[in-house]
Amino acid sequence: MNKNIIIALILIVAGILVFINASKDVSTYANFEQATNGDRVKIVGQLAKDKPMTYDPQNNPNEFAFFMKDDKGVEKKVVLHQPKPQDFEMSEQIVVTGELEGDVFNASEILMKCPSKYKDEEIAVKEQEGKI
Amino acid sequence: MNEVSYIGEHLWVGQIGHFCVILSFVAALLSAVSYFLSVKNRKNATAVGWSVIGRNAFYLHGLTLFTLIGLIFFAMYNHYYEYSYVFDHVSEDLPLKYILSAFWEGQEGSFMLWMFWHVVLGVILIRKEKTLEAPMLFVFAVAEVILMSMLLGIHLPWGDDAIRIGSNPTTLLRQINEAPIFANADYLSLIKGRGMNPLLQNYWMTIHPPTLFLGFASTIVPFAYAFAGLWLNDHKEWLKKSLTWSLFSAGILGTGILMGSLWAYVALSFGGYWAWDPVENASLVPWITLVAGIHVHLVSKNTGYATRSVYFFYLISFVLILYSTFLTRSGVLGDTSAHAFTEMGLEWQLIFLVLFFFLTGMGLLIYRFKTIKNPEKEEELASREFWMFIGSLVLLFSGILIISSTSLPVFNKIMTYFNPAYEGRVIKDVIGHYNKYQLWIAVFIAVLSGFSLFMRYGAALWPQQKKKFTQRMVISIGISAVLTYLTSLWLEYYSWQFVVMSFTGLFSMVSNLDYIISVVKGNLRVAWSAIAHLGFGMMMIGMLASGLNQKAISTNPFVFKGMFTDEDVKKYVQLIKGKPLFSQGYLITYLSDTLIDRERRYDINFKKLNDSMEVVEEITLHPNAMYSNDFSKVAAFNPDTKHYLTKDIFSCVVSLPPALSSVEDAKKIEDSLKFTTYVLSPNDTIQVGGYTIKASEITFAPTHKEYVKHEHDAGIGVQLSITDPQEDTTYLVEAALGMEGALMYNYPAAIETAGLRVKLAQNTLDDFFTPDDQLEYKEFTIKSNGYIDFEGYRLQLTGFDKEPQHPNYTKQDKDIAIAASINVSGQGMAEDASPIYIIRDNQPMSIKSYSGKSGLHIRFSNIDPVKEEFSFKIAKDKRKTNDISVDIATDVPRTDYLILQATIFPGINLFWGGSILMMLGLFLAAYERYIKNKK
Repeated sequence: MNKNIIIALILIVAGILVFINASKDVSTYANFEQATNGDRVKIVGQLAKDKPMTYDPQNNPNEFAFFMKDDKGVEKKVVLHQPKPQDFEMSEQIVVTGELEGDVFNASEILMKCPSKYKDEEIAVKEQEGKI
Repeated sequence: MNEVSYIGEHLWVGQIGHFCVILSFVAALLSAVSYFLSVKNRKNATAVGWSVIGRNAFYLHGLTLFTLIGLIFFAMYNHYYEYSYVFDHVSEDLPLKYILSAFWEGQEGSFMLWMFWHVVLGVILIRKEKTLEAPMLFVFAVAEVILMSMLLGIHLPWGDDAIRIGSNPTTLLRQINEAPIFANADYLSLIKGRGMNPLLQNYWMTIHPPTLFLGFASTIVPFAYAFAGLWLNDHKEWLKKSLTWSLFSAGILGTGILMGSLWAYVALSFGGYWAWDPVENASLVPWITLVAGIHVHLVSKNTGYATRSVYFFYLISFVLILYSTFLTRSGVLGDTSAHAFTEMGLEWQLIFLVLFFFLTGMGLLIYRFKTIKNPEKEEELASREFWMFIGSLVLLFSGILIISSTSLPVFNKIMTYFNPAYEGRVIKDVIGHYNKYQLWIAVFIAVLSGFSLFMRYGAALWPQQKKKFTQRMVISIGISAVLTYLTSLWLEYYSWQFVVMSFTGLFSMVSNLDYIISVVKGNLRVAWSAIAHLGFGMMMIGMLASGLNQKAISTNPFVFKGMFTDEDVKKYVQLIKGKPLFSQGYLITYLSDTLIDRERRYDINFKKLNDSMEVVEEITLHPNAMYSNDFSKVAAFNPDTKHYLTKDIFSCVVSLPPALSSVEDAKKIEDSLKFTTYVLSPNDTIQVGGYTIKASEITFAPTHKEYVKHEHDAGIGVQLSITDPQEDTTYLVEAALGMEGALMYNYPAAIETAGLRVKLAQNTLDDFFTPDDQLEYKEFTIKSNGYIDFEGYRLQLTGFDKEPQHPNYTKQDKDIAIAASINVSGQGMAEDASPIYIIRDNQPMSIKSYSGKSGLHIRFSNIDPVKEEFSFKIAKDKRKTNDISVDIATDVPRTDYLILQATIFPGINLFWGGSILMMLGLFLAAYERYIKNKK
């Protein structure tokens, strides 16, 4: 048989196998309800601004807890095992990656979508110089 | 709308600029058409004429483009904020050295940079390339037409909306913004630029984009060569000429990518050099396909096989560069990437750019496919070309995997067109996903690059060579096995997969080193492929060492373990100023911090201790926090790294106390503090929140460290000693108030560890000082050695100073100024005062002197030169009290800490060294070809 055909076949088979395998790495964003089976998932939601956030670096700088509301409106406590991210309060949308354990979502990664810093900024006006 | 005639605008810059944009676009279009006709009529006499027009039109395009770039620079240099692009990227306080960076920070600027390189490369080709000029420059001109259209800024009516074509860099600020400020004809004197993103204000931003864009631009050359070959149906000539260019292109593009990852590593807080970010991937994949193209190019040149693959790889590399531009600039990546540009509404133009070159290139290839001949005989299994071809396929496979995963957001977007309810897919564990496949591909590549050089094209003399080949391989495998064992003493390989990786990487290094020494006998002129392969193996070992074996030193030993399984979440630690923390064999101390302009620079000391707790090594690193241009919050944390030969120590502040991170938070905290007022007499003691506070002495020349940085008309301070009975510690602090003009400044004392804040009550100054207009001055006249007795104090005149110095007095030309030196004493105090008498323009003036301890205000009111008499006006403060009232807040959040990440990257220099060797191999090869072609 032609060598090139063999190679092509090997590549195609390898390709299919890899793609089948890789498709397991991919998922839609989950919500808290779907996370109850304990899998590692990504959840999109918003910060529940009326609930308290706790960050006590003196006790543990790698733990920041807040409440998040997913897109179904379910609210759960999220414990992020990282320092509190900058501009956290300004986030419009949060994506956390982690596992749900009981009633607490343990997150190891966080992505925030913040309103663009430069986009909607007013045209800055020079401060009045000099004293009266 | 009323027409306002604006003041101070420089409209000519924009008018010439806009003219340049249009002329440049038209010239590129003319050039493309002319070159097209030149190729079409290549058998006729008119071809030369069309080429001349095409060439000159291309020159005109280049000239107008350079003029445009020059004008934008000019406007940026002179801060012409009437232009939106200038306003967005420049500010008063932007150092001149960043003006280049500011230029290519925005989309328009980076398009111009890209076109700039296209023009440079195009002109070189016009000069050098005699036979293929027309079809190649046609490709260049078309690319320039489409790229230039991104700067047109034309709005075409389309139903209810307008379609926008391009974004013009000469657009005026007031054309795209509606703000009340533009009703003011003199608005320019009121606005200041937004300036550059502080994150980008470093030299990397100066060198990385031009290199990367040269890399981007250079991939058009192999594309244009391949395109010319297909168009003219000559599959031989271009292959001879283009290898130098492909090698150069791969070298420079690779260098650009590496610079990006070096930037990420040393200057950004990513804590690594590669994160599989979509933007990184999008520029890596064309490099991979280009390298694959070079390999099949060599095969085709030497044996005639695989010419079709050469076409495919060169065409697709440029298309992938265009695709990467689409990914990064269209906004489609959304929140999946850390560093995509912001949306600009150019999606459709970008899609057109990609599709145009993809469809014409691939269409032409399919059209000509049958005419591209392969040798009848199949490649031998024992031939070099066979394995090079396999290697290229593996590279292609790698590229397809990366670009498919990276394109997931594009896939999601397409799906939502068909089904608006479609839920977008995301990769759950990004880095893990890519590493899983790419590390195995690296293993394949390492093996192939290890043995293929020992084989010959066409399997020449294989029967005789076979034995020698086997011998060399056995030796290399043996040495690599030993080295794998030795490295396992240095690095931890957590599973057999890593052992395989390490072994194959070392095998590639050993066998290519062997090739350099024993086959080409150290002749570097022909060793370039082995150098590049050696670099690849070295890079793999570097990745294993620095990636797999990186160690966080900033692990807090007090966080209880086992609570969370993921190891890498425990890489941050809190450091309190001045309190050493022992972690992972290092004693880490946050020594101090200094604010310089917008940068807060930290001094973090690392002491490495041995088992008997002796210091074996000591370094101080300076990571910093950069505040935003308006100082309202921290914009970026920059790391600092100490480089050793065998490892790097990386440190980065990741978080600061809220009061230091943002003005808003600081204000919130300030507002939440509850101050209670206490009235204290000197040497009184009070108890507050478990602490004993004693007021020692009132001073009128405070020494508070913030107070002394400013000038004041008057000031008052109090020394406090605060005792913590539990810790048995006493803190000595000072709280102060300062007055300048009508403004009062408060300088509170903060005791971080006690969570206490003490400030002088606002009324303290009123209590002690009487405003000048409420004082009752009395005048005294004395001789030059006389004295005055006033309210129990004696004021002794001791001398005069004809060159008086005083913060409120600036000497003018015809001034006559004399200060009197007066010693004030009485009631158990003594103090010097020096009021000043000035004659300016025949008008007498005086600057008073204040003696804080006595509360006396002294003015030097007149000099009688005839009688030699001196007059002074003196008044005394109407002090309401001798007590001092202080406001004290307890439970104040501390501000003397930071959260630190500190990591050791072992063997990271192997990664950089290996990558540099790879690029060096490519450049050496390009240089060799260049010299050869010249001869």
